[in-house]
Amino acid sequence: MITVSVASGKGGAGKTSLSAAIAERLGAACVFADCDVDAANGAIALGAAGTKSEPYFAGPGFEIDPAACTSCGACQAACRFGAIERTNGSFRVAPELCERCGACLSRCPAKAIRSYEKQAGELLVSDSRLGMRIVHAELEPGEDTSGKLVALVRRRAAELAGNDSVIVVDAPPGIGCPVIASITGCDLVVVVVEASASGVRDAARLVELVGSMRRRAMAIVNKSGLNQAMDDAARTMLKEAGIPVAGEIPFAPALRSVEESNRTWASLDCEAATRIRSALGAVDGAIGALKEKR
Amino acid sequence: MSDAGTTVIAVASGKGGTGKTTVAAHLAIAGARGRPTMLVDLDVEAPDASGYFKGAGRSGDASEVSVLVPRLVEARCTGCGLCAKACRFGAILAIGGVITIDPKVCKGCGACVNACPAAALEEIPMTVGQTSSFDADGLAILEGRMAIGDIRSTVVIEAAKKRAAESGAALQIRDCPPGVSCPATHAIEGADYVVLVAEPTEFSIHDLGAAVRLARGRGVPAGVVINKEGFGDADIAGFCEREGIPVIGRIAFKRERAASGAAAEPWSDDAAISGEIDAILALAADGARTDGGLR
Repeated sequence: MITVSVASGKGGAGKTSLSAAIAERLGAACVFADCDVDAANGAIALGAAGTKSEPYFAGPGFEIDPAACTSCGACQAACRFGAIERTNGSFRVAPELCERCGACLSRCPAKAIRSYEKQAGELLVSDSRLGMRIVHAELEPGEDTSGKLVALVRRRAAELAGNDSVIVVDAPPGIGCPVIASITGCDLVVVVVEASASGVRDAARLVELVGSMRRRAMAIVNKSGLNQAMDDAARTMLKEAGIPVAGEIPFAPALRSVEESNRTWASLDCEAATRIRSALGAVDGAIGALKEKR
Repeated sequence: MSDAGTTVIAVASGKGGTGKTTVAAHLAIAGARGRPTMLVDLDVEAPDASGYFKGAGRSGDASEVSVLVPRLVEARCTGCGLCAKACRFGAILAIGGVITIDPKVCKGCGACVNACPAAALEEIPMTVGQTSSFDADGLAILEGRMAIGDIRSTVVIEAAKKRAAESGAALQIRDCPPGVSCPATHAIEGADYVVLVAEPTEFSIHDLGAAVRLARGRGVPAGVVINKEGFGDADIAGFCEREGIPVIGRIAFKRERAASGAAAEPWSDDAAISGEIDAILALAADGARTDGGLR
């Protein structure tokens, strides 16, 4: 089993479009793991059908029983996240600020705080018309455990994948907890670098993270041709980081048509398509080499 | 809700790359013409707002953000393992009476210190990021930046929010992170209005739906800016009508605008845009819960 994670640092760089195209070329030989659990679009890109859902529980939250609470304030003093609010003399846990550490629970002398389980989202498994299974998820807006849900998506994908399968991970933007969970233990990170000032800066932060996690990486420069200086900045950053470039994809409004579902970059017919196929070919080659080494 | 006299407008989106930073930077430029304004970059994993202001000089007051993490005083540790039991983040392992602490996954809640009967844990600060302030021709910029490899983005976001509140600016424009989980939630919390930036694609509409639910769940009024109008065919206006959320601005797609965006250059010569940005700011201020002198 080979795991390829597609990440970018910046949002909107082209991660989902690219990872869906990599998956289309692999077809039934891959499982697609959409780890961008708060903005899950892989299922749209790959035309998901026959979706089966199971509830996702994030771990306990805490609430104060007003009948048992003596308003002593020990919970508020124990909480370092400002998650215990006092209104009109009574205390309450603000779930959106609560880090679920339980410090309040152990400090309450009246045993007025209890933990509860709340559904925080859904884990989904779908079929794609392109032959692969899709593991995806929907996190409830405002929930705080996306890293844990990412780990669950990857675990389910690994269960569905055969020994010879490739797991294609579509990572979320940023460099934080869910991104680290999307990259941990993968065999190859495909870094999508948007050829823009912010795209290059954010990709450089991701590249540093990938290096510190000692993952193998290759890059694809996306939306090139808008500004020569930005194209050069992307190439220079990657060269200095020692990351091979699989290809460059020009900025072309026609490429966003894949967002209208059931098509990926792998099956487009436009001027940019040749460049895309060449970049995808280089990624295929890297995956093939990883399989050889096994 | 922010303090009286200050209006906080958060720019968010759900999907990344729709134009949050671009819209936030332009709203801040427009706002700064009439009142003390601060652009607050809360996308701490990918802070890019200051990139729009080439002349932005660091005012030299970068401030470290840290959390208190436990350190074991081995001479006092009895190996009972109660600290590991108290930690809900898996930051402490107790195997055969040997305690191992991984400070990188510690949230700094102090539950372990409180649980230790031998007072064998002391707390030391660990840097998780920084906040920095810049001045760009009368516009104040405050940037939160999480350290690479860290996972405690919300700590940095809260530190940046606190520092921004202390500035006393009449108008704060927050550039929020993408998504709808904890970083985005912390970034919109306390705002008076959320400007949701969307682009006319199916991906963006899907993620906008989640962002609308987040704003509603937090009780913050919201409006949608349709960016890159004409770039795709997806019907955002129809979506907004069905959801009962106002469209407060439209920015047409033009290749030259995409090119300026790529180079992080403000659309200063684009008269049509500056009128549209002023209108968005006025509508957001009208919808905001407090009056910071914008009306």
